[in-house]
Amino acid sequence: MIRVEGLTILFESFKIMDLDIEIQEERFHFLLGPTGSGKTLILESIMGLRKPKKGRIWIGEREVQDLPPEQREISYVPQDLALFPHLKVKDNILYGIKARNFDPKVYEEYVQALIQVMKVDHLLERYPGNLSGGEKKRVALLRALAPKPKLLLLDEPLAGLDPSIKVEIQQLLKLLHSSFHTTTLCVTHDFEEAYVLGDGITICIDGRIEQEGKRDDVFLRPKSRKVAQFLGAKNLYRARVLKKEESLQRWVLGVNGLQFLMPLGRCRDPIEVGGEVDLFIRPEEVMILREGKPLKDSLKRNVFKGEILDIINRGRYHTVYVQTMQGKIPFEISIPNYAFRNLNLSMGKTIKVALREESLWVMS
Amino acid sequence: MRFRYTMIGAAVSIFIFYLGLILSLFYFVGGKGFWEALLHPNTIFSIRLSLIAATAATFFALMIGLPSAYALSRYQFFGKRVLDTFLEIPMIMSPIALGASLLIFFNTPLGEVIQRKGIFFVFEIPGIVLAQFATIAGLSTRLMKASLDEISPRFEAVARSLGSSSWQAFYKITIPLAWRGLIASIILSWAKALGEFGATVTLAGAMPGKTETMPIAIFTALASTNIDKTIVLILILVVFGLVTLYGVRLTGGKRLYD
Repeated sequence: MIRVEGLTILFESFKIMDLDIEIQEERFHFLLGPTGSGKTLILESIMGLRKPKKGRIWIGEREVQDLPPEQREISYVPQDLALFPHLKVKDNILYGIKARNFDPKVYEEYVQALIQVMKVDHLLERYPGNLSGGEKKRVALLRALAPKPKLLLLDEPLAGLDPSIKVEIQQLLKLLHSSFHTTTLCVTHDFEEAYVLGDGITICIDGRIEQEGKRDDVFLRPKSRKVAQFLGAKNLYRARVLKKEESLQRWVLGVNGLQFLMPLGRCRDPIEVGGEVDLFIRPEEVMILREGKPLKDSLKRNVFKGEILDIINRGRYHTVYVQTMQGKIPFEISIPNYAFRNLNLSMGKTIKVALREESLWVMS
Repeated sequence: MRFRYTMIGAAVSIFIFYLGLILSLFYFVGGKGFWEALLHPNTIFSIRLSLIAATAATFFALMIGLPSAYALSRYQFFGKRVLDTFLEIPMIMSPIALGASLLIFFNTPLGEVIQRKGIFFVFEIPGIVLAQFATIAGLSTRLMKASLDEISPRFEAVARSLGSSSWQAFYKITIPLAWRGLIASIILSWAKALGEFGATVTLAGAMPGKTETMPIAIFTALASTNIDKTIVLILILVVFGLVTLYGVRLTGGKRLYD
């Protein structure tokens, strides 16, 4: 297990306080935070390039915070990759094995397997300067994995790549992890990246951990408005808890006079009648109703009338902006393209929307 | 178009100015005195002494300058700015003032002890090396720092994570990546040491056959109106200069990688 405890970094304007991260063996963990939140500083401290103000780091049973980087058995792939331009791809890959005085024969089979998975066998005699962006990424990953590190650190591995290469590298990371099981800590600002690859996620905003947990737990059940906003949450409202309907097992929430019925379990912390909470309505879980179509019971509880203010075609889906008739609450709804075509929507049209129970989440 | 011609014209006129200076030397070349001066033992001695002293001074400047340049390029430390500014002292200080300061230093109690117990500098060959070193150490550190600045510290970071110590990362990664710039810095420092006059003559004197480097020999030859010898020495210096500049161009030209 990798454990970082109480990591505190004070550097120029950055202030990272008492950071704790725990990564189970063979897991792909994400440290997620906005750009410029000092994520690279955290990596550099874990790796040993920067001396943190305080903090302890365990790699397995070994406490490493006082060891120089070369003794920590942590490989690092920076955002700019830093492939050694004066060494051939082959020598880049073998650098770690040679530097650690490992017996190349012992590693031969493993490195060959890596080369096969990464599909770089035809590049071995070339210099990094002549490689494409995707090829460089693959070589950098291979170089980092070759000496079998106890921990792999990745700094924004998919940033700045063309969309097609991004997908390719994402799949490669997934394949690598499932084939070689290297414990990995990846920092990024891109939630989607973390969602596709991550087992666990730590969200760090303004130098503090806001939430950590399994990815679905973080994504579907954000702890605070700050986290929800960072994850790109739309439809966040300040709501008042009006009452508890024991018979229905529902909370009744009010926003601008509009009432929402929410199942009791849709919040993390206890809430009480009369209190104020943040209500988050997930845009992809809101339905636009077709007239005359019968409605399931579970959908009947939160049905509202609204007017379409705007429609944006986002290529893969449509975003419809609606304002409710009662309460005048603006709403954002994401619907798949086929649904959009069937619904015959246009600006100014009055429609009915229904909220699935999964769409509601409350943070107190 | 006029603008363009004016600008290019200025550049060409500088070229013509320097070329004219060099060509005018040839007006006196070729007489019997010329060959005599070229082959005179004192001339040969000056050439040899100059080459050896400049090489030694450059060696010492490299030994102290490269680590200093690295420190200035990579680390933040107390007094860094003051240190950095001090490197410019030999550049803004007149060479003769620098030489005089060295001479005065060797007349202080500490300087006298060094001379008595260690090496004689004043009016001796080590004095030449020291004077040249004093002139070029700051410059070469600055030049080397500039070439190290161009190499991202991330290369070393990765090398460290892969198991290299900081020394190994320095000589396996940073030096090979910066070597073109480093070589150019060394060549330029050497050329500057070779042409150094003011500090050298002040500290080491101008004794023919003992401490007379090429620039000093030019001065003494001119002072005794020995035009042949003067021109011989100037031409040799010019040749050395052109060769070094060409060397710098070679290293700074096309890049091997990326």
